[in-house]
Amino acid sequence: MTLPRTLRSRAAAIALPTVGLLALAGCASGDNGGNGGGDAGGDNTILVGTTDAVTHLDPAGSYDNGSLTLQTQVFPYLVNTAENSTEVVPDLAETAEFTAPNEYTVTLPEGLKWANGNDLTSSDVKFTFDRQLAIADPNGPSSLLFNLESVEAPDETTVVFHLKSENDQTFPMVLTSFPGAIVDEETFAADAVTPDEDIVEANAFGGPYSITDYTFNELVELTPNENYQGLHEPAANDGVIINYYAESSNLKLAVQKGEVDVAYRSLSASDVADLAGDDNLAVHEGPGGEIRYIVFNFNTQPYGASTDEADPAKALAVRQAAASLLDREALSEDVYDGTYTPLYSYVPQGFAGAIEPLKEMYGDGEGGPSAEKAAEILEAAGVETPVPLALQYSPDHYGPSSADEYAMIEQQLEADGLFDVTLAGTEWVQYSDDRVNDVYPAYQLGWFPDYSDADNYLTPFFLTENFLVNHYADQEVNDLILQQAATPDPAEREALIEQIQTLVAEDLSTLPYLQGAQVAVSAADVEGIVLDASFKLRMASITR
Amino acid sequence: MADTATAAPTTASPAARKGARGGGSLWRYVLIRFLLIFPTIFILVTTVFLMMRVTGDPITAALGGQLTPAQLEERIEAAGYNRPLIIQYLEYLGQIFRGDFGTTLDGQPVVGVLLRYGGATLELAFYALIVAFIVGIPLGMLAAALRDRWGDAVLRVFAILCYATPVFFAGLVLKLVFSVWLGVLPSSGRASPRVELQIGRIDNPTGIYTIDAIRTGNPAYIVDVLQHAIMPGIALGLLTAGVFLRLVRTNVIGTLAMPYIDAARSRGVSEYRLVRTHAYKPALIPIITVIGLQIAMLLGGAVLTETTFEWMGLGFQLSEYLKARDYVAVQGIVALLAVIVALTNFIVDIIAAFIDPRVRY
Repeated sequence: MTLPRTLRSRAAAIALPTVGLLALAGCASGDNGGNGGGDAGGDNTILVGTTDAVTHLDPAGSYDNGSLTLQTQVFPYLVNTAENSTEVVPDLAETAEFTAPNEYTVTLPEGLKWANGNDLTSSDVKFTFDRQLAIADPNGPSSLLFNLESVEAPDETTVVFHLKSENDQTFPMVLTSFPGAIVDEETFAADAVTPDEDIVEANAFGGPYSITDYTFNELVELTPNENYQGLHEPAANDGVIINYYAESSNLKLAVQKGEVDVAYRSLSASDVADLAGDDNLAVHEGPGGEIRYIVFNFNTQPYGASTDEADPAKALAVRQAAASLLDREALSEDVYDGTYTPLYSYVPQGFAGAIEPLKEMYGDGEGGPSAEKAAEILEAAGVETPVPLALQYSPDHYGPSSADEYAMIEQQLEADGLFDVTLAGTEWVQYSDDRVNDVYPAYQLGWFPDYSDADNYLTPFFLTENFLVNHYADQEVNDLILQQAATPDPAEREALIEQIQTLVAEDLSTLPYLQGAQVAVSAADVEGIVLDASFKLRMASITR
Repeated sequence: MADTATAAPTTASPAARKGARGGGSLWRYVLIRFLLIFPTIFILVTTVFLMMRVTGDPITAALGGQLTPAQLEERIEAAGYNRPLIIQYLEYLGQIFRGDFGTTLDGQPVVGVLLRYGGATLELAFYALIVAFIVGIPLGMLAAALRDRWGDAVLRVFAILCYATPVFFAGLVLKLVFSVWLGVLPSSGRASPRVELQIGRIDNPTGIYTIDAIRTGNPAYIVDVLQHAIMPGIALGLLTAGVFLRLVRTNVIGTLAMPYIDAARSRGVSEYRLVRTHAYKPALIPIITVIGLQIAMLLGGAVLTETTFEWMGLGFQLSEYLKARDYVAVQGIVALLAVIVALTNFIVDIIAAFIDPRVRY
C-alpha cells in the first residue's frame, strides 16, 4: 500500500505541472499566439516585424534604414516619389520647383496641422533644415544637405531653399530622403537631437500616423493621424504595430506562425526561399537599391601606382580580367537564392539612366564569365599569370553570407589559373580604417542609396574626391558627373549618366556584381504592400 | 557511505549541534559574511574593469571606423579615456561607490537599464527556478528510491544532459519542437505585441509581465504571458534542474543510510513516510546553499536564453551592447550583476545559517 501512495505522489508532482503546461500550450494552439489577448488593437491593425533597429526617431540624429522606415510613417515630407515612380512630386507641398538656378521654392497649403494641433507652417520647414545644418550630428544625414546655403520663409506658406551650386537636380531627391522629414519647431530642439520620448510625448507627428506607444526598438504602435495631408491616401488600416526582432530567424518564425502579418527587412536568402514555399504566405519583391562591388585600390593593386612593378596598363588589364571571370549568376543563385540579382553596371536597374555596359564589355559578352577573354586581356598587356591578388572582405558587416560570397569569388578568379587569390576577412571596425589607408589592394563594399537617383551611385564613388579613397581620378568622368547633376533636361541628363557609366566601366575603379532586391513576406491575405524604387515601405496602404 | 559526508544536516547529534553552536555565534557569522562582500565585489569589479580595458578604450571599440580620427580623439578626450589607467580605475571605483555604474553610449544610465530590464530577467529566473524545483526535486527523489536500478541510471544521464547541454541549444530544440513542428507555443518574445501594449498601459507597471498581466484582470493576457514564459523557463530551468536532481538524489541516499533512519525503519515506519518525512526535508537543506551558486549560473544562462527567445531582459541587453561594442554598458551591467550575485549569495548563506546551526565561522 505504501508503494502505490508514493508513486501516486511522485506521479502527481510530475503530472500536474505537465498538464498545466499542456493546457497553456493548448490555449495557444487556437490562434497561434498571433492575437494574444485578443481585444487589443482593431481587427485591421497590421503587425509588422523587422530586424532594422532605430537609432533615433529625430531625423537629425539618424541615417539608417530602421530609423527611416519609422520616420517615413510619422513625419511629413515636402516632396516625395509616387508609388512605382522615381519622379519627384509634391507631397506635403502644394508646389515645388526651381524658381531660379539656385532657388528651389516650395509652397504649402494653408491650414496644415501637426497631430498635436500645432500649426504646420513654413517656419517649421525652415526650422527643420536650419537645425539639421546646426546640429550636423555625425550619425545624422546633414551631409546630404551639402549644397544648401540657407532657407527662407517669406510667409507662412512659402519656403525658399537657396542652393550653393546652380540647377542641382539631386536636391529635390534629397528632400524625399533622410534629411527631408519636417519636424515641429515647438517640440524639437534647435541645436541638439531631441530624445525619442519627448517627441512621442508631444505627439509631434505629421505623417500618415502618430506614435501612440513607443518602447525603443521593442514595440511601436502607430495610429492613423487625422491631420495628415499629403501625397498618399490616409491610412487604409486601423493602425500598425511594429515589433522589433534581434534575429532574423525569430522574425522568420514569427511570420511563419502568424505572430506578425508582415516581415520587412531583413530575412536571409535561405529564409525567404523557405517561406516562398508556404501557401499561407506571400513573398513581395521590389527593385533593390543595394549593390555589392569590389573596390580596386589604384595604388596597391597588382601593378598599382605605388607597387614596385607599377604599370597602369597592366593594372587595368588585371581589373578587366577579374571582371571577365566573375560569374554573377552563380553568386546570385548559389549564395543568395536569387534574392540578389546580377548587376552589370554602376547604376542599378530601375533607375533612370541605368544601362549595363559591363555585360557587353567583359566576359562572354552576354553577362557570363569567360576565362578565354580574361586570358587574352592579360596576355595582351603582358601580365604574368597567375596574378597574385589579395582580396579582403568583412565577415560582420554585409551579412552572414559574405564568407560564402567571397569564397565563391576566390574560386571563380582562380578556376583557370589566371589569379592566385589570398582571401582574408577583417572585422568592420578595423576594416573601415584599413580600407582608406591603402591596406587592401582589392576589397568588398556595399552601398545602399541615400536617395532614389542615379547620381547617388556616381558622385560618391567617381568624383576625384570620393569616399572610396582608392586613388581613382578621371577628369572627364569628374566633369561629366558635375554636369549631369546640374542638367535640368531629363533626357539630356540620362544621356550623360549613360556616358559616365560607360567610361567608368572601361576604367573599372570598382567592379559591381550584385544588386539586392527588396523583399517582404506577409500572410497570404495581406494586401497593399508596395516595394518600389523609393526603398520605403509605406505602411498606410497595407490591409488584410 | 562517502556520500553521507555532504548530506543529512540534521543527522548530527544534539551534543554535536550544541558544539557547533559553540563554535561561533550566528551574528558573528552574519557580520563576517557581510564584511566578505566588500573584497568579493572589489575583486569582481576590478577584474571586469581590467578585462574591458584589454581591448583598448571603449570609444574606439564602439565607434572606430565610423568617425574620423579627429572626432574619435575628441570623444576619447571628453570621456577621459586618454588619462592614465590607474586614474580611470580610481574614478571608476569612486563612481561605483556612489552607485553610478556608468552610462551607455546611447545615453542611458546603466542603473536605469537594470531597473528597466531587471524585472524581465528576474521573472525568467523565477520561472527557471520553478522548473528546476518541479523537475529536479521529484526526479532526484525518484532516482534515490530507484538507486542503482535502470531508472536511476536513466535519471542520472538525464541530469547530466540537463546541465551539460548548452542553454541556447536546449532553447532551439524546444522552439523546433513546440513552435515549429507542433505550433503550440509562441517562438519568441515575452508576450504577443497586442498584449504587450495593453499590459504596458497599466499604472506603474512592474516590468514583471506575469504580475502586470494579473493586474489587468484579463485571463487571456495572463495565459498569453505564461505561454511565452514556458519555453524560456524550461530551457534555463533544466540547467539548474540537473544540478538539483543529482544533489537531491545524493542527499536522499545518504540520509536513508543514516542510523536514525534504520532506527525509524525498525520501529515500523513505512518507506513512504521514511522518504517523505525523515529523509526528504533534511536532504533539501543543501539546495538552499546551492541556490546561491545557481543564481550566478542562471544569470549567465539568461544571456543565452534571452537572446534565443528575444526575451527583453538584462541578458538580452548585455548581448546587444556586446554586439554594439558598447563596453561601458557591458562593464556596467557585468559589474552590477556581480554585485547582485555577491549580495544574493550573502542572503542565501544567511538563510542557510539560520536553518543549519553547523554553518558558522
